[in-house]
Amino acid sequence: MKDNHSKTAFILVTVFTAVASILFSFRKSENMKELSYIFYSYPPVPGHYVSKDSLELEKLLKNTERRITASLRRLENLLPYGPYLIINTTQNKFVLRNRKGVIREGICSTGSYVLLDAGDGKQWMFKTPKGMFPILGKIVDPIWNKPDWAFVEESLPIPPRNHPDRLEYGTLGDYALTLGDGYLIHGTLYQRFLGLPVTHGCVRLGDQDLEVVFKNLNVGSRVYIF
Amino acid sequence: MKNNLTMLFSKIKGSFTTKGVVIFVSVQLMAIIAAFILFGIIPVGNEVSKITKQFNPEGVSENKLPQEKVALLERVRDREHYESVLKSALLLSKTDSISLLIDLKDSLAILSLKGVSLFQSKISEIEFNQGLKKLPVYLRDSLYSGPFPVKKELASIEKFPVVIKKAPKDTTEASADDAAPILPIQNDVFVLFLLDNNLVIEINQQEHDLAGSKRAYRNFKANYSRFFRDHNFALIKDKNAPSYLYRLKIFIPREEARSIYRALPIKPYVLVRY
Repeated sequence: MKDNHSKTAFILVTVFTAVASILFSFRKSENMKELSYIFYSYPPVPGHYVSKDSLELEKLLKNTERRITASLRRLENLLPYGPYLIINTTQNKFVLRNRKGVIREGICSTGSYVLLDAGDGKQWMFKTPKGMFPILGKIVDPIWNKPDWAFVEESLPIPPRNHPDRLEYGTLGDYALTLGDGYLIHGTLYQRFLGLPVTHGCVRLGDQDLEVVFKNLNVGSRVYIF
Repeated sequence: MKNNLTMLFSKIKGSFTTKGVVIFVSVQLMAIIAAFILFGIIPVGNEVSKITKQFNPEGVSENKLPQEKVALLERVRDREHYESVLKSALLLSKTDSISLLIDLKDSLAILSLKGVSLFQSKISEIEFNQGLKKLPVYLRDSLYSGPFPVKKELASIEKFPVVIKKAPKDTTEASADDAAPILPIQNDVFVLFLLDNNLVIEINQQEHDLAGSKRAYRNFKANYSRFFRDHNFALIKDKNAPSYLYRLKIFIPREEARSIYRALPIKPYVLVRY
């Protein structure tokens, strides 16, 4: 170190590099912690276990097994007794099953998650609700009572409530199962879109799948949508 | 910039002596060691002593016990854990929310609602961080079993893939809309859940190739780094902040990971069975 300037510059560079190393290490704290675990370990068995003799442990085990059996039975009782339908809205797939196993599985169409904006604060979100729903009704040859958004989507004037222009025949297929709040499981004219999220919230099934689902599910049967 | 560097270099040129180099290297080494102690050893040491005190084990080595008793102890622990998982599942069945069970024993990620298993995905790979790996089985119940609510979450995909569509102005525009449905963009799936017991659960797609946009992936990675950085900052500011995050990483097929993430409500409950 020949002069003061050189010395100051050297100190500055050294300190700056050291600070940079510390900051870099801070960014990599997670790796440091992982590495630090080399130096630590936990005691293998807690005392309250060790103090028990084999007979006590056997008794403990027996009681635990008994409670496990009871819990498993309670969980099993939560399964519906009759057939039930599971709908996966992300993959647009359905499974109709009962306690014994799968009755039928295939593709369906669920809500598109399109937010239709008609201006003036009028908006509709086309999503299929998630949760458990009981079947509230079964309809053969359903007629679609078109809601307001169906006219907005087609850029047509919205007719008054109960106007015959709102009724459309054949669009919903041969059967429909009602889930409440206007949501249905029904058929479709757009078979090519099955497997895609294209509906306005209802669940569309292919003709044959719909027939099997309709025949197996009764009013009160459960539909699980996720 | 170049001029400044040249100037600085010329100024410290005189320090390139053996003594200077030794001082420089020693200072850097000390800085790294100090950082290692500060950001590695101390937080981990705090966590280990906290857990050890909490469970107050009387440090008895399994090696000192007869083999039969060790086996019996293992069985008791295993069944007690299974019982607590079942109890949690029953507890969750009373809620209206979909919950996630990660069954490490059978390598399954299971969605359930009201006690009914809705969806199962086979886990192809499981990774634990060192803290979780070293944690003895009897201590894992405090991290697993649950049910534990998610405190914070990060994801590379949206929970609700909303597509905004303006209503058509006329019938021509409306009929053009009918031709092709609007489908949401399918990005790659990486999810991180921080449970309120400081267990981080990462659900990653098992596919290595990226199918979606690289930007979404980069955004997630940036948020992921920020998440751990924020945790470390919190550690400096607050002494009561958790000093160590246990991390469990599972890998499942992309589309199944997407289904799981989208099915779960915001702040879901997660159960882990080991």
